[in-house]
Amino acid sequence: MPDHHFPWLTAANSRITSPADHRYNCLAWAANDSTHWWQPGPKFHWPTPADPDADRIEDLIAAFAAVGFVPCGPGDLEPGFERIALYADAAGRYTHAARQLPTGTWTSKLGIAEDIEHDTPDNIAGGIYGDVFGFMRRPVSTAT
Amino acid sequence: MSGAATRFRETLSSEELREQFEALAADWKERSGYLSNTRQMAMLEPYQRIIGLGRPAVPLILKELQREPNFWFWALEAITGEDPVPPDTNGVVDRMVDAWLEWGRRRQLV
Repeated sequence: MPDHHFPWLTAANSRITSPADHRYNCLAWAANDSTHWWQPGPKFHWPTPADPDADRIEDLIAAFAAVGFVPCGPGDLEPGFERIALYADAAGRYTHAARQLPTGTWTSKLGIAEDIEHDTPDNIAGGIYGDVFGFMRRPVSTAT
Repeated sequence: MSGAATRFRETLSSEELREQFEALAADWKERSGYLSNTRQMAMLEPYQRIIGLGRPAVPLILKELQREPNFWFWALEAITGEDPVPPDTNGVVDRMVDAWLEWGRRRQLV
C-alpha cells in the first residue's frame, strides 16, 4: 500500500483480510453490507434521501443514523454493540468508515481494493482519509 | 523556449490511443483505488483526460470494464451521451457493469 495514502499504516498494525472487490465500499462494509456500493445519488445505495452532491460528514452521520447507529464516544469494546469510526478531511467531507470487530480491532474496506484489519482507527488516518471525526454505535440485534 | 515548433496533430493512431488510454487508466487506478465515492474518482485528472479522448476510447473503456470492473460508467455516459443502466440499480455494481457491456455488445464494440 502506498505510504503517502496511509502514512501510519504498517505491516505490524494491519493485515489484508480479503481480495479486492468492486461490489461494495467502506461505507457499506461498516454497516455489514458487502453487496452494495453506498453513495448518495441515483443508481447507488444510500439509506436516506440525499442530494447526489451530499458529501459532508453530517450527511454520512445521517445515513448511518437511518440504519440504527447513534453517536458515541471512542470508549472500549462494548459487548452487544457494534461501533463504527467515521473519517473526514480538513474541509469536512466524509472520506471513510471503519467497523470495530468483536476482538476490539477494526476492519476497513479500502475503496475498490481489499478489506484490511487494523489495530486502531488512527492506523488509517493521516493521509487520504484525513482524520477520525467521531464514532457511532448500534445494538448488534439491529445490524443489517 | 525551444526554436523547434512541434506540430499539433488532431488525431492519434489507434496504437497511440491505446497507449495513452492504458497510461491514463493505470494512473487513475493508482490515485482512485482507495476512494469510496465515484464522483471524487471521476474528478481526478487522468479520468477527465480519458473522457477527453472521446468516442474512439469507448471500445478501450468497455474492454477494460470487461477485464476488470471499475467505475467507468461516468466516462462512458459523458462520451456517448447514453445511459443504459436501469434506474433501480440501487448500488449493485455488477448490474451497472452488465448494462454497459450489453450496450457495447449490441454495437459490436466489445
